Amino acid sequence: MVVVDVDFEELRWLTGQEGKSDEELKTDLFALGMEYEGETGDGLRQLEFAPDRLDRLSVEGIARSLRYQYGEDRGVHVPRTNSPEWRYEVAESVPEERPYVTGAIARGVNLDETALDSLIQLQEKLHATMGRDRVKGAIGIHDLVMLKGGAAGSEDNSIEYRGVEPDEDTFVPLDADAELSPGEVLTEHPTGREYAPVIADYERLPAIYDEIGLFSFPPVINGRRTELEVDSTDLLIELTGTDQWTIDRMGVILCYALAARGATIEEVTIEYPDRELVRPDLGVETKRLAHERIETVLGIDLATEDVIDLAERSGLDAEVTGSEEGSSSDGELSAENSAYEVSIPPYRQDVLGPLDLIDDLGRAYGFNDLEPRYPRVSTVGGRHERSRAERKVRETLVGLGFEDLLDFHLIAERENYDQMGLTAPDAGENATGEASETREDQPLGGAAPARIREPYSEDYEIVRTWALPSLMMVLENNTHRSYPQDLAEIGLAAGRDAGENTGLAEFRTVGAVLARTDASYEAAKSRLAALCRVFGAELETPPTDHPAFIGGRAAEVRIDGAPVGVIGEIHPEILVEHDLEVPVAAFEFRLDALR
Amino acid sequence: MQLPGPQLAVLEAASATEKRTIAQLAAETDQEPTTLTGAAFELAEEGFIEIEEREEQSLDLTAEGRTYREEGLPELRLYRAARETGAADAPVGMGEVIGASGLEGGVVDIALSNFARKEYGKIEAGELSANPEADPNGDNEAAVLEAVGTGDASDVDPSVLDRLVDRGLAERSRRTERIVTLTEDGVTALMEGIEAADTVGRLTPELLTSGEWREADFREYDVEADADQVHGGRTHVLRETAERVKDVLVGMGFEEMDGPHVDADFWINDALFMPQDHPARTHWDRFALSEPAEIGELPEELVERVETAHREGVGEDGEGYHSPWSPEFARQLALRGHTTSLSMRYLSGEAIGDLEPPQRYFSVEKAYRNDAIDATHLLEFFQIEGWVMAEDLSVRDLMGTFTEFYEHFGITDIEFKPHYNPYTEPSFELFGTHPVTGELIEIGNSGLFRDEVLRPLGVDCDVMAWGLALERLAMLTTGAEDIRDLHGTLADLDFLRNAEVSY
Repeated sequence: MVVVDVDFEELRWLTGQEGKSDEELKTDLFALGMEYEGETGDGLRQLEFAPDRLDRLSVEGIARSLRYQYGEDRGVHVPRTNSPEWRYEVAESVPEERPYVTGAIARGVNLDETALDSLIQLQEKLHATMGRDRVKGAIGIHDLVMLKGGAAGSEDNSIEYRGVEPDEDTFVPLDADAELSPGEVLTEHPTGREYAPVIADYERLPAIYDEIGLFSFPPVINGRRTELEVDSTDLLIELTGTDQWTIDRMGVILCYALAARGATIEEVTIEYPDRELVRPDLGVETKRLAHERIETVLGIDLATEDVIDLAERSGLDAEVTGSEEGSSSDGELSAENSAYEVSIPPYRQDVLGPLDLIDDLGRAYGFNDLEPRYPRVSTVGGRHERSRAERKVRETLVGLGFEDLLDFHLIAERENYDQMGLTAPDAGENATGEASETREDQPLGGAAPARIREPYSEDYEIVRTWALPSLMMVLENNTHRSYPQDLAEIGLAAGRDAGENTGLAEFRTVGAVLARTDASYEAAKSRLAALCRVFGAELETPPTDHPAFIGGRAAEVRIDGAPVGVIGEIHPEILVEHDLEVPVAAFEFRLDALR
Repeated sequence: MQLPGPQLAVLEAASATEKRTIAQLAAETDQEPTTLTGAAFELAEEGFIEIEEREEQSLDLTAEGRTYREEGLPELRLYRAARETGAADAPVGMGEVIGASGLEGGVVDIALSNFARKEYGKIEAGELSANPEADPNGDNEAAVLEAVGTGDASDVDPSVLDRLVDRGLAERSRRTERIVTLTEDGVTALMEGIEAADTVGRLTPELLTSGEWREADFREYDVEADADQVHGGRTHVLRETAERVKDVLVGMGFEEMDGPHVDADFWINDALFMPQDHPARTHWDRFALSEPAEIGELPEELVERVETAHREGVGEDGEGYHSPWSPEFARQLALRGHTTSLSMRYLSGEAIGDLEPPQRYFSVEKAYRNDAIDATHLLEFFQIEGWVMAEDLSVRDLMGTFTEFYEHFGITDIEFKPHYNPYTEPSFELFGTHPVTGELIEIGNSGLFRDEVLRPLGVDCDVMAWGLALERLAMLTTGAEDIRDLHGTLADLDFLRNAEVSY
């Protein structure tokens, strides 16, 4: 989700809706999918929306959408442009990681404080979204008056995008008073340090020159010489990035915003060593849209005029192009088999296929005006076998007096192993998972875990390999609550297993603890036996050793002959580690043993 | 008026003018004092009698003391035997004296040590001599023993008494003597006439088998008194909510999905047409694994079709993303960020083979978010995921399905806020009115799967889907304000024990 700060006065002015109350505006914005989130310290309204319509990242774009909604505007609008006077030359030396550049000139911009803030916000929001934090695309906006053309020493009115060595040249960046080389910016300037990772692997650094010298160090920082001021009227916009299409669209969104404030957009020529482009590309694309699909998706009947009207109210244009499968018998086009050629304005970066257009039509129609209907589709429902088994085991445990618990699947490595007397496998151990054979010999819970690459917290760094550690933690956190505490959990555990496609064997495990003054092996076994009995499973408990249990009071849980778990009295050392002052008897086994 | 037998006995034996102890009443009525005490308290509660309590110290012989009272103190028996064997004149062998005394076992030692202590004679080198001056009939310990035995120890020497207590022959005990007098109400009740009723405390097997229960009068309990608190086994409140959701969905014709929690990014994101440079796929949001790091196999042809959709789009004039796409990223393993990975596995045919429309599927399973934990967000949460596959599904069908679902949870008047998801179009955030507070709250996210999702999976009809965090529903139905009380090892057992059930 993105948040844009908007001045409602500006919004009224730009939409021509001086009379709209704040509440009315909020309702209209909600219909566009924009939610009012609150107010900033400066009295701006914060609007939150999903990042599809990135042309709405500024008050100008939001106003445009509202004007369509109010019917003030209809159809596709493309700002007029003047022919190029400036050329952006791309040198051979340009960093190969960031080969693309685009831009535009905007003249006659009437920048006041609010307009300048809005422009800077749009630039930042575009960086954060389409620009992928400046990795994919970054924008530089400069005061054209401060630039002198002729960078490549060739003609007038050109700038050059090239690659430089870190200390090849110097300039005064924004928010600095001294000449710094690009290399120094990356280590000494706060903005430089922030964006240094973006270009950390670049062999040469991106730089843009005019005749006077280096004035922009994309995607990091502009030079101070060309800094925008409130009285700047003519702007040079440059964008560099890793994808031409992306930076072109970012540029178009900027141009539309500036044009909405009365600027005249002037094209620029982009001169690559092997080709030439004219930008901004304000070309209108078209897509074909079948009438039937619109009716199917929206679930309503529409006349072709309705579709055209809805399209125009969405800022699109639609033209009936002909029938899907030829015309009907009487030679006239019927709505059912007609199709449209839909024109899409260039600021729309989000239209990939017909459903995106139908979504626009639906929004213009008003989705909430559609009557819900229960689909006439007949299917038979049912639970997954695993889920049915889990429910029955849970019900039985609850009947035996256990309080059903729900613990996290993620756990600290220390809690999963060390706190239970097990040795934590080294990272990388069993990486090949040849363990699947030796696993038989491991104590329950001793398998190698799935590890989170960059854990947010050391409390949650692996997927647990068994459930008893979680239950012991619950006991530890509830020593102030009344006893007995008979707890059980059926949940996920997992251990490394090369035999699995994911390299991990996931399974549901049944864990139970009896924490009470009279907790004993026998008490645990009688409950486990009751559980096995109702599932018609044969339980055997041959003696075993497990570091979490008292020697001589631990047994393997064998169900129908298969070793599937462990049962016993928890070792006092482990009780003490968990700050417990009552004995605990416990068992754990794989759920699928009962199926 | 009817009263239980013991109560009636107490009432009749008590007097309004004379203070009588329970012991006296017991002797008079031939009933157990404990029975009468209970009856007396019940009568006092009714206001028929008054009970005065007096602490009394009593003195009794122990079993050993009673034996010695009958047989004589062992040291005296020893002295008498010594005199008989002539030990007053010359020392006599110990064996001979003891034999004559008839003492046996441990009592011999007791006799010997007290014999010496009381200077009845001397024991030297295995021979015993008796003190001719000693007077066994004047033994003060024997006298006190006799006095305590007859219950008249009022003027015995306290130091001698202490000695007997030390020797374990007598014991002091405190007891409360309860003294009963009739009140005016009691007198009145008696004069009005009272019948005896047999009362029974506990219904016993004997009462049942003997048939005595027919005559029994069951003592009344204080039925308003608090009872002990018990915490039986119970299903976790969040599970309860999950079960309820499953019931509703099964009832609506949905079948349940199951599948891996750790999965390839291909199934979690790529198949869902999430561009690989989408912010949600950066390391902070996803739970990428370092071990295991990569899936073994992915269906090759499907991967190719998905890559093509990402790069070129789907359909004649469809467009793809202008984003990098690498098969290596697709193979990386992570804990699923949503259970929509299951939907992808089922829709592709990977889970249970190709599906023909119509189908309805759901799951209520865990998803993972690498994020800070707070009162409303956990690293793990249950996602309710559902989808319907059919020919020609419309937005209205989607709305109808969700309206039906949420009505089961008391949420009506759903609003559909147009939304954006990379994998559905049109997409809606669902808002509903909180059944208690009346607030408009977000209750889910939904939409029709895009062609770019479905066509590579080999699905040629429509699929609508929605997702919702189960915790959000649970917090609505349980009133929990901090999700950490509910879910995880920080759970408060008291909260779980006392949470209201939902059904």
